[in-house]
Amino acid sequence: MDSNLAVGLAMGLGAIGPGIGLGIAVSKAMEALGRNPEASGAIFVPYILGIALTEAIGIYALVISLLLIFVA
Amino acid sequence: MPEEEGESLIHVAIEAEPLFDIGPLAFTNSMVGALITTAVLLLAAAYMTRRSSLVPGRMQSVLELPVELMSGIVSASSTRWRSYLALILAFFLVILISNWVGLLPGVGTIGITHLDASGHEAVIPIIRPASADLNFTLGLAIVAFVMFVYWGIKANGGGGYLKELMGEPLYMAPLMFPINLISEFSRLISLSMRLFGNVFAGEVLLATMLALVPLFIPAAFLGLELLFGFVQALVFALLAMTYIATAIAEHHSSGHDDHGEADAAHADHAPAAEAAHA
Repeated sequence: MDSNLAVGLAMGLGAIGPGIGLGIAVSKAMEALGRNPEASGAIFVPYILGIALTEAIGIYALVISLLLIFVA
Repeated sequence: MPEEEGESLIHVAIEAEPLFDIGPLAFTNSMVGALITTAVLLLAAAYMTRRSSLVPGRMQSVLELPVELMSGIVSASSTRWRSYLALILAFFLVILISNWVGLLPGVGTIGITHLDASGHEAVIPIIRPASADLNFTLGLAIVAFVMFVYWGIKANGGGGYLKELMGEPLYMAPLMFPINLISEFSRLISLSMRLFGNVFAGEVLLATMLALVPLFIPAAFLGLELLFGFVQALVFALLAMTYIATAIAEHHSSGHDDHGEADAAHADHAPAAEAAHA
Protein backbone atom coordinates (compact mmCIF):
# COMPACT_ATOMS: atom_id res chain seq x y z
CA MET A 1 0.00 0.00 0.00
CA ASP A 2 2.08 2.85 -1.28
CA SER A 3 -0.42 5.66 -1.63
CA ASN A 4 1.65 8.32 0.10
CA LEU A 5 2.44 10.09 -3.17
CA ALA A 6 -1.21 10.03 -4.18
CA VAL A 7 -2.21 11.45 -0.81
CA GLY A 8 0.27 14.30 -1.10
CA LEU A 9 -0.74 15.05 -4.68
CA ALA A 10 -4.46 14.94 -3.92
CA MET A 11 -4.15 17.37 -1.05
CA GLY A 12 -1.57 19.65 -2.64
CA LEU A 13 -3.21 19.97 -6.04
CA GLY A 14 -6.62 20.11 -4.44
CA ALA A 15 -5.58 23.07 -2.31
CA ILE A 16 -4.59 25.22 -5.31
CA GLY A 17 -8.11 25.94 -6.52
CA PRO A 18 -9.68 26.83 -3.16
CA GLY A 19 -6.59 28.89 -2.34
CA ILE A 20 -7.02 31.03 -5.42
CA GLY A 21 -10.77 31.20 -4.88
CA LEU A 22 -10.44 32.28 -1.27
CA GLY A 23 -7.90 34.91 -2.26
CA ILE A 24 -10.28 36.38 -4.82
CA ALA A 25 -13.24 36.27 -2.44
CA VAL A 26 -11.39 37.91 0.44
CA SER A 27 -9.77 40.56 -1.74
CA LYS A 28 -13.12 41.51 -3.27
CA ALA A 29 -14.75 41.65 0.16
CA MET A 30 -11.96 43.89 1.49
CA GLU A 31 -12.25 46.07 -1.59
CA ALA A 32 -15.96 46.43 -1.03
CA LEU A 33 -15.37 47.26 2.64
CA GLY A 34 -12.80 49.87 1.71
CA ARG A 35 -15.17 51.54 -0.71
CA ASN A 36 -18.18 51.36 1.55
CA PRO A 37 -17.41 50.59 5.21
CA GLU A 38 -21.10 50.81 6.17
CA ALA A 39 -21.84 47.76 4.05
CA SER A 40 -19.98 45.45 6.44
CA GLY A 41 -23.22 44.10 7.92
CA ALA A 42 -24.65 43.33 4.50
CA ILE A 43 -21.44 41.75 3.25
CA PHE A 44 -20.80 39.57 6.29
CA VAL A 45 -23.27 36.71 5.82
CA PRO A 46 -22.79 36.23 2.05
CA TYR A 47 -19.04 36.52 2.60
CA ILE A 48 -18.96 33.79 5.24
CA LEU A 49 -21.18 31.57 3.08
CA GLY A 50 -19.03 32.20 0.03
CA ILE A 51 -15.76 31.33 1.71
CA ALA A 52 -17.42 28.27 3.28
CA LEU A 53 -18.49 26.99 -0.11
CA THR A 54 -15.08 27.72 -1.60
CA GLU A 55 -13.35 26.02 1.27
CA ALA A 56 -15.58 22.97 0.91
CA ILE A 57 -13.66 22.04 -2.24
CA GLY A 58 -10.45 21.96 -0.26
CA ILE A 59 -12.22 19.83 2.31
CA TYR A 60 -13.22 17.39 -0.42
CA ALA A 61 -9.53 17.01 -1.28
CA LEU A 62 -8.81 16.44 2.40
CA VAL A 63 -11.52 13.78 2.60
CA ILE A 64 -10.14 12.02 -0.47
CA SER A 65 -6.65 11.98 0.98
CA LEU A 66 -7.96 10.76 4.34
CA LEU A 67 -9.82 7.99 2.50
CA LEU A 68 -6.60 7.10 0.67
CA ILE A 69 -4.69 6.92 3.94
CA PHE A 70 -7.18 5.04 6.08
CA VAL A 71 -9.45 3.11 3.75
CA ALA A 72 -7.77 2.34 0.42
CA MET B 1 -1.66 5.12 8.49
CA PRO B 2 0.98 3.20 6.55
CA GLU B 3 3.99 2.92 8.81
CA GLU B 4 7.26 1.61 7.47
CA GLU B 5 9.44 1.51 10.53
CA GLY B 6 9.33 2.69 14.11
CA GLU B 7 6.62 4.54 15.94
CA SER B 8 4.72 7.20 14.10
CA LEU B 9 5.11 10.71 15.48
CA ILE B 10 1.47 11.21 16.32
CA HIS B 11 -1.58 9.08 16.89
CA VAL B 12 -4.27 9.68 14.25
CA ALA B 13 -7.56 7.84 14.26
CA ILE B 14 -10.20 8.82 11.74
CA GLU B 15 -13.01 7.24 13.72
CA ALA B 16 -13.81 7.64 17.39
CA GLU B 17 -12.29 4.88 19.45
CA PRO B 18 -14.32 2.83 21.92
CA LEU B 19 -13.40 3.25 25.57
CA PHE B 20 -15.65 0.52 26.98
CA ASP B 21 -18.77 -1.35 26.01
CA ILE B 22 -22.26 -0.95 27.38
CA GLY B 23 -23.94 -4.13 26.26
CA PRO B 24 -23.79 -4.19 22.45
CA LEU B 25 -22.98 -0.46 22.25
CA ALA B 26 -19.46 0.88 22.33
CA PHE B 27 -18.93 3.99 24.40
CA THR B 28 -16.50 6.04 22.33
CA ASN B 29 -14.27 8.92 23.32
CA SER B 30 -16.20 11.35 21.14
CA MET B 31 -19.26 10.61 23.28
CA VAL B 32 -17.30 11.97 26.24
CA GLY B 33 -16.72 15.11 24.22
CA ALA B 34 -20.41 15.32 23.40
CA LEU B 35 -21.32 14.85 27.08
CA ILE B 36 -18.95 17.67 28.07
CA THR B 37 -20.52 19.88 25.42
CA THR B 38 -23.97 19.11 26.74
CA ALA B 39 -22.88 19.73 30.32
CA VAL B 40 -21.38 23.13 29.45
CA LEU B 41 -24.51 24.18 27.59
CA LEU B 42 -26.81 22.96 30.36
CA LEU B 43 -24.77 24.79 33.00
CA ALA B 44 -24.88 27.98 30.95
CA ALA B 45 -28.63 27.56 30.47
CA ALA B 46 -29.16 26.93 34.20
CA TYR B 47 -27.09 29.99 35.05
CA MET B 48 -29.04 32.11 32.61
CA THR B 49 -32.46 31.01 33.83
CA ARG B 50 -31.64 31.35 37.53
CA ARG B 51 -29.65 34.51 37.69
CA SER B 52 -30.47 36.53 34.62
CA SER B 53 -31.45 40.11 35.24
CA LEU B 54 -32.71 42.86 33.00
CA VAL B 55 -29.44 44.73 33.31
CA PRO B 56 -26.87 42.06 32.43
CA GLY B 57 -23.83 41.58 34.57
CA ARG B 58 -20.46 40.69 33.14
CA MET B 59 -21.05 36.91 33.02
CA GLN B 60 -24.51 37.31 31.59
CA SER B 61 -23.39 39.58 28.78
CA VAL B 62 -20.70 37.09 27.78
CA LEU B 63 -23.33 34.33 27.62
CA GLU B 64 -25.71 36.56 25.70
CA LEU B 65 -23.11 37.54 23.13
CA PRO B 66 -23.43 34.50 20.79
CA VAL B 67 -27.21 34.48 21.15
CA GLU B 68 -27.44 38.13 20.18
CA LEU B 69 -25.06 37.68 17.26
CA MET B 70 -27.04 34.77 15.82
CA SER B 71 -30.49 36.22 16.37
CA GLY B 72 -29.33 39.41 14.68
CA ILE B 73 -28.30 37.44 11.60
CA VAL B 74 -31.26 35.03 11.60
CA SER B 75 -33.84 37.79 11.98
CA ALA B 76 -32.58 39.30 8.71
CA SER B 77 -32.96 36.05 6.76
CA SER B 78 -36.71 35.88 6.17
CA THR B 79 -40.01 37.07 7.56
CA ARG B 80 -40.70 33.79 9.37
CA TRP B 81 -37.38 33.70 11.19
CA ARG B 82 -38.94 33.16 14.61
CA SER B 83 -39.96 29.61 13.71
CA TYR B 84 -36.42 28.40 13.08
CA LEU B 85 -34.37 30.73 15.27
CA ALA B 86 -34.15 28.16 18.08
CA LEU B 87 -32.85 25.44 15.75
CA ILE B 88 -30.16 27.64 14.21
CA LEU B 89 -29.10 28.90 17.64
CA ALA B 90 -28.86 25.33 18.92
CA PHE B 91 -26.73 24.32 15.93
CA PHE B 92 -24.41 27.25 16.50
CA LEU B 93 -23.97 26.75 20.25
CA VAL B 94 -23.55 22.98 20.13
CA ILE B 95 -20.98 23.11 17.34
CA LEU B 96 -19.14 26.07 18.88
CA ILE B 97 -18.77 24.39 22.26
CA SER B 98 -17.88 20.99 20.85
CA ASN B 99 -15.24 22.56 18.60
CA TRP B 100 -13.72 24.43 21.50
CA VAL B 101 -13.75 21.37 23.77
CA GLY B 102 -11.02 20.03 21.48
CA LEU B 103 -8.76 22.95 22.42
CA LEU B 104 -8.85 22.34 26.17
CA PRO B 105 -5.57 21.08 27.62
CA GLY B 106 -5.54 17.32 28.01
CA VAL B 107 -8.08 16.63 25.29
CA GLY B 108 -6.49 14.28 22.78
CA THR B 109 -3.29 13.98 24.80
CA ILE B 110 -4.40 12.21 27.99
CA GLY B 111 -5.57 8.68 27.34
CA ILE B 112 -5.46 5.04 28.28
CA THR B 113 -2.88 2.74 26.72
CA HIS B 114 -3.78 -0.54 25.13
CA LEU B 115 -2.35 -2.94 22.56
CA ASP B 116 -3.75 -2.42 19.08
CA ALA B 117 -4.29 -5.10 16.45
CA SER B 118 -0.66 -5.15 15.33
CA GLY B 119 0.64 -5.49 18.87
CA HIS B 120 1.90 -1.93 19.18
CA GLU B 121 1.12 0.04 22.29
CA ALA B 122 -1.33 2.80 21.40
CA VAL B 123 -2.92 5.56 23.41
CA ILE B 124 -6.67 6.08 23.19
CA PRO B 125 -7.50 9.66 24.17
CA ILE B 126 -10.24 9.78 26.79
CA ILE B 127 -11.82 12.89 25.32
CA ARG B 128 -12.27 13.60 21.64
CA PRO B 129 -14.20 16.66 20.48
CA ALA B 130 -17.61 15.50 19.29
CA SER B 131 -17.41 17.34 16.00
CA ALA B 132 -14.24 15.43 15.07
CA ASP B 133 -16.52 12.39 14.70
CA LEU B 134 -18.35 11.95 11.41
CA ASN B 135 -21.33 10.36 13.18
CA PHE B 136 -21.94 13.55 15.14
CA THR B 137 -21.64 15.93 12.18
CA LEU B 138 -23.73 13.65 9.97
CA GLY B 139 -26.37 13.55 12.68
CA LEU B 140 -26.48 17.34 12.80
CA ALA B 141 -26.61 17.51 9.01
CA ILE B 142 -29.52 15.04 8.93
CA VAL B 143 -31.41 17.22 11.40
CA ALA B 144 -30.77 20.25 9.18
CA PHE B 145 -31.76 18.28 6.07
CA VAL B 146 -35.03 17.05 7.59
CA MET B 147 -35.80 20.57 8.75
CA PHE B 148 -35.30 22.30 5.42
CA VAL B 149 -37.22 19.62 3.51
CA TYR B 150 -39.98 19.88 6.14
CA TRP B 151 -40.10 23.66 5.77
CA GLY B 152 -40.07 23.38 1.99
CA ILE B 153 -43.07 21.03 2.07
CA LYS B 154 -44.85 23.05 4.72
CA ALA B 155 -44.43 26.35 2.86
CA ASN B 156 -45.19 25.16 -0.67
CA GLY B 157 -47.12 21.92 -0.13
CA GLY B 158 -45.94 18.49 -1.25
CA GLY B 159 -46.79 19.21 -4.87
CA GLY B 160 -45.10 22.59 -4.78
CA TYR B 161 -41.97 21.04 -3.35
CA LEU B 162 -41.92 18.40 -6.10
CA LYS B 163 -42.55 21.09 -8.72
CA GLU B 164 -39.56 22.99 -7.37
CA LEU B 165 -37.42 19.89 -7.76
CA MET B 166 -38.70 19.47 -11.34
CA GLY B 167 -37.40 22.85 -12.42
CA GLU B 168 -39.02 25.64 -14.36
CA PRO B 169 -39.68 24.48 -17.96
CA LEU B 170 -41.58 21.26 -17.38
CA TYR B 171 -40.16 19.48 -20.43
CA MET B 172 -36.71 19.68 -18.82
CA ALA B 173 -37.95 17.81 -15.75
CA PRO B 174 -36.48 14.39 -16.66
CA LEU B 175 -33.07 16.04 -16.74
CA MET B 176 -33.50 18.50 -13.88
CA PHE B 177 -35.23 16.25 -11.37
CA PRO B 178 -32.25 13.91 -10.75
CA ILE B 179 -29.85 16.86 -10.71
CA ASN B 180 -31.93 18.75 -8.16
CA LEU B 181 -32.40 15.60 -6.11
CA ILE B 182 -28.64 15.03 -6.05
CA SER B 183 -28.02 18.65 -5.14
CA GLU B 184 -30.43 18.33 -2.21
CA PHE B 185 -28.54 15.31 -0.94
CA SER B 186 -25.15 16.84 -1.65
CA ARG B 187 -26.02 19.49 0.93
CA LEU B 188 -26.21 16.69 3.48
CA ILE B 189 -22.79 15.38 2.48
CA SER B 190 -21.09 18.76 2.26
CA LEU B 191 -22.55 20.06 5.54
CA SER B 192 -21.31 17.04 7.46
CA MET B 193 -18.00 16.64 5.63
CA ARG B 194 -17.09 20.32 5.95
CA LEU B 195 -17.48 20.37 9.71
CA PHE B 196 -15.86 16.99 10.24
CA GLY B 197 -12.96 17.72 7.88
CA ASN B 198 -12.21 21.08 9.44
CA VAL B 199 -12.30 19.96 13.05
CA PHE B 200 -10.50 16.68 12.41
CA ALA B 201 -7.81 18.42 10.35
CA GLY B 202 -7.48 20.98 13.13
CA GLU B 203 -6.93 18.24 15.69
CA VAL B 204 -4.31 16.56 13.50
CA LEU B 205 -2.63 19.92 12.87
CA LEU B 206 -2.43 20.66 16.60
CA ALA B 207 -1.09 17.18 17.37
CA THR B 208 1.54 17.48 14.63
CA MET B 209 2.65 20.89 15.83
CA LEU B 210 2.87 19.69 19.43
CA ALA B 211 4.98 16.76 18.34
CA LEU B 212 7.31 18.84 16.15
CA VAL B 213 7.78 21.96 18.30
CA PRO B 214 6.58 21.43 21.86
CA LEU B 215 6.95 25.05 22.98
CA PHE B 216 5.38 28.37 21.93
CA ILE B 217 4.60 27.53 18.27
CA PRO B 218 1.48 25.42 19.08
CA ALA B 219 0.03 28.43 20.89
CA ALA B 220 -0.27 30.27 17.58
CA PHE B 221 -2.11 27.31 16.07
CA LEU B 222 -4.35 27.07 19.13
CA GLY B 223 -5.37 30.67 18.50
CA LEU B 224 -5.99 29.83 14.85
CA GLU B 225 -8.14 26.84 15.82
CA LEU B 226 -10.10 29.01 18.24
CA LEU B 227 -11.00 31.21 15.27
CA PHE B 228 -11.70 28.25 12.96
CA GLY B 229 -13.94 26.60 15.55
CA PHE B 230 -16.03 29.76 15.69
CA VAL B 231 -16.10 30.20 11.92
CA GLN B 232 -17.14 26.59 11.29
CA ALA B 233 -19.95 26.81 13.83
CA LEU B 234 -21.09 30.03 12.16
CA VAL B 235 -20.83 28.48 8.70
CA PHE B 236 -22.90 25.42 9.61
CA ALA B 237 -25.59 27.52 11.29
CA LEU B 238 -25.68 30.06 8.44
CA LEU B 239 -25.88 27.38 5.75
CA ALA B 240 -28.70 25.61 7.59
CA MET B 241 -30.44 28.98 7.96
CA THR B 242 -30.02 29.79 4.26
CA TYR B 243 -31.34 26.40 3.20
CA ILE B 244 -34.42 26.82 5.38
CA ALA B 245 -34.92 30.42 4.26
CA THR B 246 -34.74 29.44 0.58
CA ALA B 247 -37.11 26.52 1.21
CA ILE B 248 -39.62 28.93 2.77
CA ALA B 249 -39.27 31.56 0.05
CA GLU B 250 -42.37 31.51 -2.15
CA HIS B 251 -40.78 32.16 -5.51
CA HIS B 252 -37.74 30.60 -6.99
CA SER B 253 -35.72 31.68 -9.94
CA SER B 254 -35.81 29.22 -12.84
CA GLY B 255 -34.10 26.01 -11.87
CA HIS B 256 -31.28 25.87 -14.40
CA ASP B 257 -28.73 26.45 -11.69
CA ASP B 258 -27.57 22.90 -11.24
CA HIS B 259 -25.57 23.55 -8.09
CA GLY B 260 -27.75 23.77 -5.04
CA GLU B 261 -25.19 25.46 -2.86
CA ALA B 262 -24.38 28.22 -5.31
CA ASP B 263 -28.12 28.78 -5.59
CA ALA B 264 -28.44 29.09 -1.82
CA ALA B 265 -25.49 31.45 -1.54
CA HIS B 266 -26.96 33.78 -4.14
CA ALA B 267 -30.39 33.67 -2.60
CA ASP B 268 -28.99 34.96 0.64
CA HIS B 269 -27.90 38.25 -0.85
CA ALA B 270 -31.41 39.57 -1.10
CA PRO B 271 -32.57 39.33 2.54
CA ALA B 272 -29.23 40.55 3.88
CA ALA B 273 -29.36 43.57 1.57
CA GLU B 274 -32.90 44.29 2.65
CA ALA B 275 -31.83 44.23 6.25
CA ALA B 276 -29.14 46.77 5.57
CA HIS B 277 -31.61 49.16 3.94
CA ALA B 278 -34.23 48.77 6.64
